[in-house]
Formats: sequence, structure tokens, C-alpha cells
Amino acid sequence: MTPKEKELLIRRIWVVITYVVLLTFALVYLMPFIRSLIASFMTWAQASRYPPEWMPSPFTLENYQKLFRLELFPRWIRNTTLYAGLIVAGNIMFTSMAGYAFARLKFPGRDVLFSALLSLLMIPMFVTLVPNYIIIYKLGLIDNIFGLALLGLTNVSSIFLMRQYFMSLSTEIFEAARLDGCGPIKSFFYIALPLARPALGAVAVYQFLGSWNAFIGPLIFLRSPENFTLPVGLSFAFQRSMWTEYTPIIAGSLVASAPTIILFLVLNKYLIRGIVVTGGKG
Amino acid sequence: MARVLLKNVTKKFGDVIAVRRLNLEIKDGEFMVLLGPSGCGKSTTLRMIAGLETPTEGEIWIGDQLVNEIDPTKRNTAMVFQSYALYPHMTVFGNIEFPLRMTGAPKQERAKKVKEVAEFLGISELLNRKPSELSGGQQQRVALARALVREPEVFLLDEPLSNLDAKIRTQMRFELKKLLSYDLGITTIYVTHDQVEAMTMADRIAVMNKGVLQQVGTPNEIFYKPANTFVGTFVGSPPMNLIEGEIIVKDNKTLFNAGEFLLELPIEMEAREKVILGFRPQHVEVNKDAKEGFVKGKLLGIEKLGVESYGHIPYGNLEVVVQLPESMGTSVKEVHWKPRADRIYIFDAKTRELIYG
Repeated sequence: MTPKEKELLIRRIWVVITYVVLLTFALVYLMPFIRSLIASFMTWAQASRYPPEWMPSPFTLENYQKLFRLELFPRWIRNTTLYAGLIVAGNIMFTSMAGYAFARLKFPGRDVLFSALLSLLMIPMFVTLVPNYIIIYKLGLIDNIFGLALLGLTNVSSIFLMRQYFMSLSTEIFEAARLDGCGPIKSFFYIALPLARPALGAVAVYQFLGSWNAFIGPLIFLRSPENFTLPVGLSFAFQRSMWTEYTPIIAGSLVASAPTIILFLVLNKYLIRGIVVTGGKG
Repeated sequence: MARVLLKNVTKKFGDVIAVRRLNLEIKDGEFMVLLGPSGCGKSTTLRMIAGLETPTEGEIWIGDQLVNEIDPTKRNTAMVFQSYALYPHMTVFGNIEFPLRMTGAPKQERAKKVKEVAEFLGISELLNRKPSELSGGQQQRVALARALVREPEVFLLDEPLSNLDAKIRTQMRFELKKLLSYDLGITTIYVTHDQVEAMTMADRIAVMNKGVLQQVGTPNEIFYKPANTFVGTFVGSPPMNLIEGEIIVKDNKTLFNAGEFLLELPIEMEAREKVILGFRPQHVEVNKDAKEGFVKGKLLGIEKLGVESYGHIPYGNLEVVVQLPESMGTSVKEVHWKPRADRIYIFDAKTRELIYG
């Protein structure tokens, strides 16, 4: 074997090893999804059997039929859409403004304020759950999608992402705009916002995913079934007093995750952009 | 159109003094070049005039108005940035129109003005393109158009040619000068570190170093009457030869003792210790054969720059650069040289200020 052939062989072996490792991990991550997909066509009796079985027998669409027999199912989809829409709109509006202010404006206490804001990332949501509940309760907005959305209209990670993005834009463009007659507000609307489209896309996608799948918040702040979002509604519909019927919940989750999967496939370059901008999780 | 006056202007960034007690007047319609190495405070000065930085001390006047407290949007200055700073999401038309839109001018008037200025600069056919689709020279012109469209009183340019390649730079140099000085007669302040740009374009040059103004004068004054060794070496290429030594007077002759050699100076001066002799490589008489009053030197090497060639002559730690006559050829190993009498400068070795020349 010549050295050249040897080198080629080594390179090939490396490629094979890389693929094996990557495929193994991909399979591990995909496994719950694959399992859900298969289980959604099984009866609950078969799906809960141990050791797990991998072929639905009998093959059944009963789980999906149960789902669409639920009177409130369309209503939950509507609620979830409204909730996700409010969260996305709120985040785009408020985090772009906050990010712009932190990145481009000079005001006393800016950096202290920003550090304080970032430190909020370290506080688990459960710590603020009770105070938030009291606030929403006092506002009379318990069991109301708008009250729930109020809590998520802005988000520290999104502010951080927007700030980093605005800082990455050339300072000279903003200075040119200033000399062309733009105050800070005009320069936000005419220059910063149109240039921030990729970052806004990333914020929108992240927030949509987060709010579409949100469970704890809706579970605590919403009370009547007709106001539930999809994740809460599904677990409500199939939870009995002593046991839970998981297969329809699994089918429901798959239906519910369809929009997020489509969104991911269409917009994943924005997600990646978001990660690149912040140098970490968005 | 307006003059610009800087009175005792100082700018500090924390402990760093970027500009120190600067006094400078730019006359109405004048083309003033701020020249200096990077970090000399020239860009900071320009940004203070634009209003992007606030002076720590001192006054800035544009026309009859003290502008220290006036917002940059209301100063009626326009600036062209080194990176051009075009708005990437707008077309060329949108870019040029933008300052007019901000003043609230009616749409038709805006369109008319944009077309006029685009025609004037020869970019009419580019109006529908995005900045990313333009070449460097075209972007430059769009940036100029955007600055010109609102008819500013003062035109500020921050190293506008440094992103262009050498050929276009030479061409744009002349075009810019023609446009701003001859066609428009607008008060212009131009920042550069390139002494050739400064010499070719300026009505007057202000040379700065380490935040301090070194000299203000016409290109001729700066070149032929440098106020100190910094100006002498910064302007002109290759830089002026500077040789430390002393002046001695012997038998009514003024001699310069460099340690390595003794040179008779065709000038009258009192004896003095610790001076610096300065002369430009171009202002040297060079001979193949020995001649009275000439200094002998062995050539270390010859730099050919087309018509001109420069010889490097070492004397211990010192190296003297002289322009060789075209007729001399490149095979010479030894020359005899003497600085021209009317182009000799003597600087004080301590203050480095000009004392003769």
C-alpha cells in the first residue's frame, strides 16, 4: 500500500467513525419521538406493556379519533395560537426596543441595569410563580389568556439576543443616520429595525416554540377547560382519577407539535443565526 | 458655506487625552486636510466638529454659531465615513434620499434633488441597486451623493479613499478635489494619514501628532518649512534625513560634526551643541567622484522607483538616504554627496523645533 492510499484509507475510516457516532446520538435523541409516533397507533394496553413492543398490533387510529371527538380540541388550538401570537408579538416589540436601548443608547446606569437583567436568568421560574400569580390575580386576569400572555411579553434571553445583534451592526451606520437627521427613535425605526430582521426571526421562532409547548404557566394561570391551551387541555382530557390514558395524549402531542416542526424546518437558519449571534442558547 | 473655528479644544477619553488644546480656523470654502498617524486625534477632531463627540473643553464654532451644545442633526454638516456607512437595506435612491426624508421635504422635491445629485456624480444608472451590488468606487460616490444632497455648510471626510485600491484612489483624489473645491467651493475638512493625499488635495494642511497640532500651512509651507522634525519626516517620501550632531565654527566656516563625518554647511550660524541636521533625499547633490565639501559614502543598496532611485549610505548606526541622479546607473558602489544649501534645516535636538531653514 502506498502512503497515499494509506492516508486515503485512514480518512475513510475516520468518516465512517464520525458517521457512526453522529447517527448513534441522532438515534438516541430521536428515540422518544419515534416511540411516540409508533405508540400513537397502539392501544394503551399494548403501549404500556413491558418489555416495550415496536409493532402496533392491532394497528389503530382510535387515539386520533378520540382526539378529534373532543369538543374542545379546536378551541384549545385557537387558544394556543392566540397565546403564542401574543407572546411572539410582545417579544418582537419589546425586546427589540430594549435590546436597541442597551446596545445603542448611552444613559446612566445602563450597564448595571443590563447586568441586573441578565442575573434574572439565574432565577428559576418557580421562585417567581407565586408572586406572579398574586399579581395576575389582583389584576383580575386569572383564567384569561391575556393575563397569562402578560407574563411572557418580554424575555431576558430575547433582549440579550437583540442587544448582541444590534451591537454587531456597524456603529458608523448609526452615526451616519444621526448626521442625516435621525434621533434615536427615528434611527430605531428606519435603520435598526429593518436591519434586525434575522434576529427578530430568531426571537419569533424561539418564542413561538416556547409558548406553543408551554405547560406549567397555562396549567397554573388557566382554570376553565374552555380556556386551556393544547398541552394542558390534552393532559386534562385524558387524565382519569387513578390513571392516565397516555396514547391519546401522545397522538395529541404529535398533532400539536406539527406546526413547530414545520416552523423549524422552514426557519431553522434563523434559529442557527440566533445561536451564532448570542454565542450560545437563544 | 461657513468657516469652522476651534478654540482651545480638548478631548479626553478617561485618562487618555485624544486632542490637546487645539486652535484651528478653517476658512469659508477652504479645503483643509487634517494629517497625522493613526491615534493622533485627527478623527476625534472631525467627530467633534460633526457632533458625534463632545469636547471636554473649548469651543467649536460653525459660521457664527457656537455648536458645542447643538445636536449633530442640526449642525448642517455632512460626513463621509471610511466605510461609507451606506444603509444596506435601502437602494441607492433610498440612501441618497434619506437625509431629505428626515427633514420632511415633499416627495417630488426629494426625487428631483436625488436625480440631480446622482447625475452630477454620474451614478444615475445605479439608483435602483442595493449598496452590496456596487463596487468600492461606486459606493464612495453614493456616500458622497448622500452627503451632498442636503447642501451642507461643512463637508467632513474621514479617510474616504483608504478602502479603495491604488488606481481608483488616485483618480478619486483628483475628482474629489475638483468636486468639492472647484465645482462647489464648499468648506471641507478631510482626515487622512496619507501625506500624498494631503499634499495633492489640500489648500492648507494641519499636521497633528499625539493629540497636538504640529503645524498649519499650505502644502508648500509644510513641505519646505517644516516646524519640527515630526512634520519634516511625516511629510515627504522617503522621509527627511535627520542627523544628530553639533555645529562648530572654524576659520569662519560653519561645520556640522555628525561624529562619523564632518560636513561643511554653506550657511552662517553660531556654534551650537546638540542640534539635528535635516535635509530631504531629493535635495542632495550627488557625485561619483570626490569633490571639495562633499562627504564620501559607500552605498548599502539602491531603491529603484521608476525614474527616481534612492541610495542608502550607512555611517555607523546612521543611514543617510539620497536621491541618485538618473544618469548614475545602478552599478555604483561609492558616492560623494552634499545637501543643497537652500534646503538645509537645523532643528534643536531637545525641543526638535526648527531653528534654521
